[in-house]
Amino acid sequence: MMRALGLAGMLALASASLAAQGVMVAPHAVFIDHRLRSGSVLLYNPGTEPVEVSISTIFGYPTTDSAGRITLDTLLADSTVSALGWIQAFPRRLTVGPRERQTVRLLARPPAGLPDGEYWLRLVIAAQAGRVPITGVADTTAIQVGLTLEVRTIIGVNYRKGPVGTGVTLSQLSARIVGDSLITRSKLERRGNAAFIGMIRETLVDSTGAVRGQRVGDSLVTTFASPIGVYVAMQPRLASAIPHPGLPRGRYWLRYEVVAERDDLDPTVVLKAPAVRDSVQLVVP
Amino acid sequence: MKKTLLLVMCVGLTGRAAAQAGSSVSAHAVVVTVGMTISTLRDLNFGTVIKGVPTTILPTAANAGEWQVSGSANAFIVISFTLPTQLTNIQALPGSTMPIAFSGISAIWRRSTNNPVGGTVFDPAVGAVGRLGPPSNFNMYVWIGGTVTPALAAKPGIYQGNVVVSLIYQ
Repeated sequence: MMRALGLAGMLALASASLAAQGVMVAPHAVFIDHRLRSGSVLLYNPGTEPVEVSISTIFGYPTTDSAGRITLDTLLADSTVSALGWIQAFPRRLTVGPRERQTVRLLARPPAGLPDGEYWLRLVIAAQAGRVPITGVADTTAIQVGLTLEVRTIIGVNYRKGPVGTGVTLSQLSARIVGDSLITRSKLERRGNAAFIGMIRETLVDSTGAVRGQRVGDSLVTTFASPIGVYVAMQPRLASAIPHPGLPRGRYWLRYEVVAERDDLDPTVVLKAPAVRDSVQLVVP
Repeated sequence: MKKTLLLVMCVGLTGRAAAQAGSSVSAHAVVVTVGMTISTLRDLNFGTVIKGVPTTILPTAANAGEWQVSGSANAFIVISFTLPTQLTNIQALPGSTMPIAFSGISAIWRRSTNNPVGGTVFDPAVGAVGRLGPPSNFNMYVWIGGTVTPALAAKPGIYQGNVVVSLIYQ
């Protein structure tokens, strides 16, 4: 139901932004079963002008850099899990009219003898909005400058053949308070033969066992949750805000868990895996 | 039931909900979970510039480029740019160009709030990891500015280029 409300809200918002030009891509992750060998992505243009869309594919998956920031690694030496060579998208170019929707089909032709497991690629949906409206062109001595903005939405495509399983290990958990933020870092390594798609949940408790709230936007939450996709290994750095006036002196515990649950995906495509948990102490001097 | 509801909602957008409501929904129906929308709210427009005078647009300026991203609440989105180094005069002979540059403070992203003041400043050449807002407002906004340096001998006309923003969903 939350997903339904989310979609409805998002579409209502998109409809309200009449001046905006873009395209909605749904779902934001595609899972293809080897028995079906096909998938699809819906494109919807909420704007009042046609949007030209081009479709391409790349191989890559999320990882983290030395600072813990999530990046898409597309320069991978190991491509044994790449589906780039045998999944194609159709059409490659299309125009989505105002308030119209169109479907992009994904067709897989896996090589014979493909071992069981999960194979990945990324779908790149590039949408070109209209040209920059520049006025004053009647003045032939003037110099006018404008840049057109193009958007590319890059979503994951996971192809599953045969029995697939996943899991994750958690290590090197650390947490510290910096200013009004709670900064955490951990090392996550995938197990099994499929990506771990799930959530990180963080709960801060004080020495009495009482849960301390964290701020997310304008809301106070008891648990800070963050979607995560562990394809091989990563060391994500997360930051949440401590509500004003901050934490009193004392000892606190950060409870950290990684679970194979996602509100934004169909539960049938989220592979089950045991949750992993750890905790670490923080001292506010 | 959930899948059916989602599909009907989607169909409703096209104004054909009434036509669909009485018909059965095929089992082949696409499962539409929450999608992601990236909309260009405003292009980056320097307007009229003066020969020999560099012109900078800050990402907080009213004529900075702006995108709105909507999707799954609290999701992390990797933001990266493909930036031009030269703009081309589309009214002059080929080869008439103007340099454009971006600095470490040329871009901003912000959750939920459509106001760049108070957002996170970053270098568009490096990129950033942004985050969508919480369930009550699952948006993220991105702004970009830059600096153009028209030469004293720059030819009159319209100079244009492309900025590509790539948003990668986990």
